[in-house]
Amino acid sequence: MSTPPLGTPDTTGAVAPWERLIAVIRERWDIVALVVLAVAPLVLPPLGGALGGQVTTLFIYCILALGLNVMVGYTGLVHLGIAAFFGIGAYLFAILTVPMYPFQMRFLTAAVVSALATAGVGLALGAPTLRLRGDYLAIVTLGFGEVVKVTLRNLEQITGGMKGLNPVPPPGAGLTIGGTDLGLAFAIDPRWFYYLALLALAGVVLAMRRLENSRLGRAWVAVREDELAAEAMGVSATRVKLSAFAMSSAVAGLAGCLYAASLSTTADPNAYDFNRSIMVLCAVILGGLGSIPGTLLGVALLVGFDTVLAPWADSAIQQWNINSSGSSLLTFSGWRLAIFGVALILVMRYRPEGLVPSRRLAAELHEVHA
Amino acid sequence: MTFFLQQCLIGLTNGALVALVALGYTMVYGIIRLINFAHGDLIMLGACLALTLVTGLGMAGWTGAATWLGVALLVVLCGLFCGGLNVAVDRLVYRPLRNAPKLAPLVSAIGVSFIFMNIGLFWLGPADRSFPELLPATNLFAGGGLQFTAKDLLVIVVVVPLMVALSVLVKSTRFGKAMRAVSQDTTAAALVGIDVDRVISATFFVGGFLGGAASVIYGLYINTIGFQMGFQNGLYAFTAAVLGGIGSIPGAVVGGLVIGLVRALSSAYVGERWTGAIVFAILIVILVFRPEGLLGRSTKEKV
Amino acid sequence: MPMTGRVRIAAIALGMAFMALVGGCRPADPTLVKIVSSLPRTGSAKQQSDTIVRGIRMAVEEAGGRVGPFRVEYLDLDDSTAAAGQWTSEAEAANARRALQDPDVMAYIGTYNSGAAKVSMPILNLGDLLMVSPANTAVGLTKPGLGAPGEPEVYRPTGRFNYTRVVPADDLQGPLSADWAKKRGVRRVYILDDNEVYGKGIADLFDERCRELGIEVLGHDSIDAKAQEFKSLMASVKAAKPDLVYFGGTTQTKGGQLAKDMASAGIDALLMVPDGCREQVFIDSAGAANLEGRCFVTFGGLPPEKLTGKGQAFVDRYREKFGELPEAYAVYGYEATCVALQAIREAGVKDRRAITDRALAIRDFDGALGSWGFDANGDTTMRTLTVSVVKNGGFEFEEILDANPEDPAP
Repeated sequence: MSTPPLGTPDTTGAVAPWERLIAVIRERWDIVALVVLAVAPLVLPPLGGALGGQVTTLFIYCILALGLNVMVGYTGLVHLGIAAFFGIGAYLFAILTVPMYPFQMRFLTAAVVSALATAGVGLALGAPTLRLRGDYLAIVTLGFGEVVKVTLRNLEQITGGMKGLNPVPPPGAGLTIGGTDLGLAFAIDPRWFYYLALLALAGVVLAMRRLENSRLGRAWVAVREDELAAEAMGVSATRVKLSAFAMSSAVAGLAGCLYAASLSTTADPNAYDFNRSIMVLCAVILGGLGSIPGTLLGVALLVGFDTVLAPWADSAIQQWNINSSGSSLLTFSGWRLAIFGVALILVMRYRPEGLVPSRRLAAELHEVHA
Repeated sequence: MTFFLQQCLIGLTNGALVALVALGYTMVYGIIRLINFAHGDLIMLGACLALTLVTGLGMAGWTGAATWLGVALLVVLCGLFCGGLNVAVDRLVYRPLRNAPKLAPLVSAIGVSFIFMNIGLFWLGPADRSFPELLPATNLFAGGGLQFTAKDLLVIVVVVPLMVALSVLVKSTRFGKAMRAVSQDTTAAALVGIDVDRVISATFFVGGFLGGAASVIYGLYINTIGFQMGFQNGLYAFTAAVLGGIGSIPGAVVGGLVIGLVRALSSAYVGERWTGAIVFAILIVILVFRPEGLLGRSTKEKV
Repeated sequence: MPMTGRVRIAAIALGMAFMALVGGCRPADPTLVKIVSSLPRTGSAKQQSDTIVRGIRMAVEEAGGRVGPFRVEYLDLDDSTAAAGQWTSEAEAANARRALQDPDVMAYIGTYNSGAAKVSMPILNLGDLLMVSPANTAVGLTKPGLGAPGEPEVYRPTGRFNYTRVVPADDLQGPLSADWAKKRGVRRVYILDDNEVYGKGIADLFDERCRELGIEVLGHDSIDAKAQEFKSLMASVKAAKPDLVYFGGTTQTKGGQLAKDMASAGIDALLMVPDGCREQVFIDSAGAANLEGRCFVTFGGLPPEKLTGKGQAFVDRYREKFGELPEAYAVYGYEATCVALQAIREAGVKDRRAITDRALAIRDFDGALGSWGFDANGDTTMRTLTVSVVKNGGFEFEEILDANPEDPAP
């Protein structure tokens, strides 16, 4: 891999200005991306419209993927049921806010409570199953995902069955600022949600960075690299894995809250099925395990492809009237799966450690090959 | 009592089909430790071919022995097709990744599964397609109040010999020995002169062949195929393989039968709507108490 | 780590963004109105939605692509994704937002699935955008007191109405089906549904009415629409010995497979299914032999071959154009579009509220479905229900069930 070590002070001396610019972007990709994303809806009208709503969804998936990254990337545990925790977060949040139930909490309180409760569910599942070896644990998470989906569907009295819980009030419902009802503003202009999700994503990214270099974060990686050695050094593998499980679930739960709030419904339980788990897992691996920019890029590519690019391409084809016969061979969505599949295979073939490998992982791989 | 027996019969028949698919997972996993996500979709493509052949040959009009011969022909043709496809995919996609990080082949397998689904979408169209009933629907147990028709029998008639043949192949032939050797230690196997790549290819072929056979039985037994059928198929079969102890051939069979029975009995006594949850809840409980699956051997971690 | 610096920059950027959040719309083209539809265009419902879209396109073409002073543009949006194979809340919400944010969009034809309507209704309601559904039949969407608590008000955050449908709701179809069964001499029924908003809703109404009529309900279970076979379930049904099996669901939620497994389990009871199964694909996927003479399908309104007047003309034109008889819902797509076009024409201005009010005020509409109007809830006043039986591999008209005997059928 030729990722140059970031932060090397080579950019002094006689360097062309664009090269310096590229160096700055590399070094400070996070700030650049944040500023670009923050300004974009104000200068690009489509982002203020429906596209903005789709990008909001993208941000939410980024949060979900960062949560999954804690387990799969840092700790090396394959998790095939992250969507279940996403769903549990969404439903708990809905139960705490919809008019059907007596709680009717404010957005922030409800989000915190449901994220914590989702972490609790994660602990309850993790405690008995974490001693399972790799692929057996993966299948337990998969099975748990199916159990949750079926249960959400069947406990109609609590979850509304296939109707879902509906309507989830927008954040700030009931609050008025400068004469405008904040809840109504959220409901009408998708940009409010855009910024809320962006803010939440920025917060999660910041928290993940802190965690990466914390004692706990290093313990996660130690367990991933060699569980026995880590145990020998006095790290309790079980406790470390459990904390990863809980952290992962909490972040997924938080993403679920935002998801339910942005759709104003929990949607039906099928929204939290295995397909979703797999999609997010692919995004994390494609981007680069354990790498925050990689995870974000992976989601942007995979989910963006499905929710932003594909619908856009379809309606473009329709508007240019290329496909008058209506054949599915001539629609973009007809080829969506194949394009997706080829992309996954090619990336894994030529960059098996992901598009933006984590620095730590890349360094290790190089060591091995050297 | 008749009701209970009927449900068990349905469960075992369904389970036998699940087991046949599970074998494809367990063989590939046993040899290269890959959860072959595309296996279910491979079977879907096999079923596409079977449907095309059935329509093309006008098999719906055949009767008696001709039908059974035709079914045997279908099994062989679809088996060869799926086996060949599986080998080709291994050659093109998985082989270059033998030394890549562990999750890279997994994601590639998901990619292959998407490509297969897209092919199936163009082949079958978006809606489910009916697979003609080739076998007579007469009840073989006419007297006893039980329903067991020719197509139920077909599942048993095809699945049992295939499983026996597979056990013989793995246990008592040179190839089987080589396979087990590669499964245990690839490097050591290569050192003693086994052509590892060829053994892996052959394993993919056998797994694919069983999948192809399963696709024909699936079409004749369930009578509906669609481009998304691979997913559910794969989910239950893979679960069966893990439940039995992934990598273990008798384990896959036992796992498949257990899943079939659990599904039938929970539909009968708890309610159809809960079957999905019960199957997986039982899976989790079993794995908590037997972390290596029902028949899996516990492996000591090497230091 | 200069965290604080980053945080500051981020805060400034976000702050600027929030301040500038007010307003800012794209200029609209004053001579253009857009009609969008949001239907499942990928996955298993595609065949049905194809015919609806054809109906919509025919209505726009017949209007010459113009309505009043405006040019009409039609955009066919998809509320399903290839990954899901069916409609998703996400795609439906995205479509609704897209329509809402586009100032040229004046009517939203959709949705096909009642569950999807629950997602888009509250969003479109905020912009008073007219919604005409060609296929939603769940009662809770419009009828106070019949759906879940809080329905239908929860779908109207502004308190104003913007939703209409040209198809009769399930409060007609479910109970009338039970009445028909009673008349037919059915005494014992086994009820199944697909656990979806539409299927479960109609099965529950059927169930309720059966109990009122004294028909014995032997069991009521929901299937998993993703399951592949129902052999165990059918063994249970067989053991209960029903006269009739009712399935509340659609072709896409395994109606065909149920019929198949019912036959192969050796059950000789009648099978009754609602309009969600009234499409040729249902017969194809079930196998005609398994349905022959014993499967009865209810449908709100008249089937294509029974339409008269404008409806018949539509069917003829459709057949001429596409070489086949339209599916049952094609004419509803056509009618929904005609309603939207008439509302735009009558309003004469490009104002969503005015157009929506015009549509809601339609009391006498002389269209392809006959003569009908909207009631105070935005529901059609058409109360005709037909029963067809599967014969010779197709649907054959059996009889008209009318909710109001004093009101003669058209």
